[in-house]
Amino acid sequence: MVCPQGFTASVTLTLVLLLPSMLTEWQLSVLVLLYTSPTCNEDENLSVSLAAICFPLKSLLCLLPFLYIFLVRIHHPGDSSLSTVFQIAAVMLTRTSRLVSGARRLDPGRLLHAGSQAPQSLAAPLDNQAPDDSPRAVSRTSEKDPARHGEQHEGLHYNIPLQDMRTLFPHSLPPRFSMQVKTFSEACLMVRKPALELLHYLKNTNFAHPAVRYVLYGEKGTGKTLSLCHVIHFCAKQDWLILHVPDAHLWVKSCRSLLPSTYNKQRLDQPAEASIWLKNFKTTNERFLSQIKVQEKYVWNKRESTEKGSPLGEVVEQGIMRVKNATDAVGVVLRELKGQSSLGGFRLLVAVDGVNALWGKTTLKREDKSLVAPEELALVHNLRKMVKNDWHGGTIVLTLSQTGSVFKPRKAYLPQELLGKEGFDALDPFIPILVSNYSPKEFESCIQYYLENSWLQHEKAHTEEGKKELLFLSNANPGQLERLCAHL
Amino acid sequence: MAAPAVKAARGWPVLALGVRNRLLRFPGLTQVRGSRYGPEYKDPQVDKEYYRKPLAELTEEEKYERELRKTQHIKAAPASKTSSVFEDPVISKFTNMIMKGGNKVLARSLMAQTLEAVKRKQFEKYHAASAEERTSIERNPYTIFHQALKNCEPVIGLVPILRGGHFYQVPVPLADRRRRFLAMKWMITECREKKHRRVLMPEKLSHELLEAFHNQGPVIKKKHDMHKMAEANRALAHYRWW
Repeated sequence: MVCPQGFTASVTLTLVLLLPSMLTEWQLSVLVLLYTSPTCNEDENLSVSLAAICFPLKSLLCLLPFLYIFLVRIHHPGDSSLSTVFQIAAVMLTRTSRLVSGARRLDPGRLLHAGSQAPQSLAAPLDNQAPDDSPRAVSRTSEKDPARHGEQHEGLHYNIPLQDMRTLFPHSLPPRFSMQVKTFSEACLMVRKPALELLHYLKNTNFAHPAVRYVLYGEKGTGKTLSLCHVIHFCAKQDWLILHVPDAHLWVKSCRSLLPSTYNKQRLDQPAEASIWLKNFKTTNERFLSQIKVQEKYVWNKRESTEKGSPLGEVVEQGIMRVKNATDAVGVVLRELKGQSSLGGFRLLVAVDGVNALWGKTTLKREDKSLVAPEELALVHNLRKMVKNDWHGGTIVLTLSQTGSVFKPRKAYLPQELLGKEGFDALDPFIPILVSNYSPKEFESCIQYYLENSWLQHEKAHTEEGKKELLFLSNANPGQLERLCAHL
Repeated sequence: MAAPAVKAARGWPVLALGVRNRLLRFPGLTQVRGSRYGPEYKDPQVDKEYYRKPLAELTEEEKYERELRKTQHIKAAPASKTSSVFEDPVISKFTNMIMKGGNKVLARSLMAQTLEAVKRKQFEKYHAASAEERTSIERNPYTIFHQALKNCEPVIGLVPILRGGHFYQVPVPLADRRRRFLAMKWMITECREKKHRRVLMPEKLSHELLEAFHNQGPVIKKKHDMHKMAEANRALAHYRWW
């Protein structure tokens, strides 16, 4: 069959694409053989494309054209395409064997839900997915270690054991998420792009350089706090020391007891908030408290003092027991950790949610009704020093939040708007990471997760119409979607 | 629709009830309650599926109806009626009854929080139950809501009838809409009055709805009281003339 090259290629492609449903495999392979006769063309591209089309054939008959081409090429040893034919044959063998086993795991139901997921899973090597992934659970992955999360896990939910939740996040999750954890009896976080980006940066940090600051920003309800939780879980698994301030806004508003600071007369103490933070810090970093030793002597009052070289746990205990000294204990802990992280005994992660509270205004007043500026609060003052990048041996991950903020407009979400000039200059330079609404794939995955847990009980919510309406009403905003699905 | 009420302007005599509103469009007479639409106005069709049917699939009647609607007068759809798939007329009516002072936003949010509270309580029960009990636990807040209100509807009611200078409570069969109204009214009144100051409405409402779903609780008791009173006044039933 002598025919022009381009024409043959297009004709064979169209024929083979259209005919598989009508012909059996035998007939297809015969057709392919006829077309790959040596007089027609010496084109590698055609053979490769034919190989690609023969993929779905579940038998080794698809190898026949290549064996034929291979034999033909042996008679024409001058051709350089021999090695490529070998490679193609080898790849063909491995891919057909994998596909024969992999094709059985896919079923039409999965393709209906997955949409864009299906071609990706066919194209990407199948052994990256965890081996015990059930084929129907498109929204979950069984990869529990955040260090191994990669782009193939994007949009999928992974499970955090409840024991880890209690140690890592004692009273420091967003209220709606903790309600969801309680209702479903499981804590599942979605793996999303901003968190993956952050994890990539954290894996490649150079601990000899000063601490890098990462700022997660975005509109309300897009998932900044939960991305921070994902990063904290990763660092906990990697054995970092975690300094987590769940909501800095709580320190600048509605404080019942403001005492003048014992350490510095101009500043104010907040015993309640400081003692709560110390308790949570102790729960999270139990094992570091005995390892780290203080490097100075601290005198609390006439009778109590902490000697040099005693473990950090003693300072924390002192703060919890003597609530009056709690703020100073927090200051001591922060100073010690900052000084000792450079020595390399541990890696420090400073995670602050709502960092724009540190540079805004407060709603607190003294007894003489004069307003308190944030720098007059000892806790805020010490935290500001922590967030400065003059130390090394760790990283600083921050989140901006308008939700709990005071005197900030509702629509403000950019770093410049929320931090103000003072805050921006203090945090400059930082790496901003935008957290946006769900992509279509993530939205599908979220809906699938709710359907699996039977959270969407309304009968119309299972239909396509219902999903379209949910997408329209929530605009793919994760917070809004969660609120909508709660009463449906 | 009920007969429109008419307020007479000064100097004009009040016309008898039951006169069609068309004849009342005189200057000086203002309509106070009731629909302003004449009988030729048809209700709007908000169902999306009705319009999505391709022309080929319509029967002769439907085609005729479509053509007719093109020339008829159609009432304006009220703002609360949507073509959403999640819309429920019973829930809308209940939300309107919860509403105070026109604050629909608050009423809707209370309704949403109530449904969420019902769902979360049922999920808790579900997770705590064994495998056999799980099949009997209903987790859909909408079915619970509808069933609870249906359980609260009285079958027979009492109506005060004037005879010989005294009002007698006469047992009377109630219309469907009156029964639904009474069930909703009792539920809301019970939740508003008999709760502690610090308890929020969604929590109390969800508790009462779950109890009514299981045929227990104060609203069911009120329904039974109504039935008992009607049974007690059985002798006065002949005072009813309709």
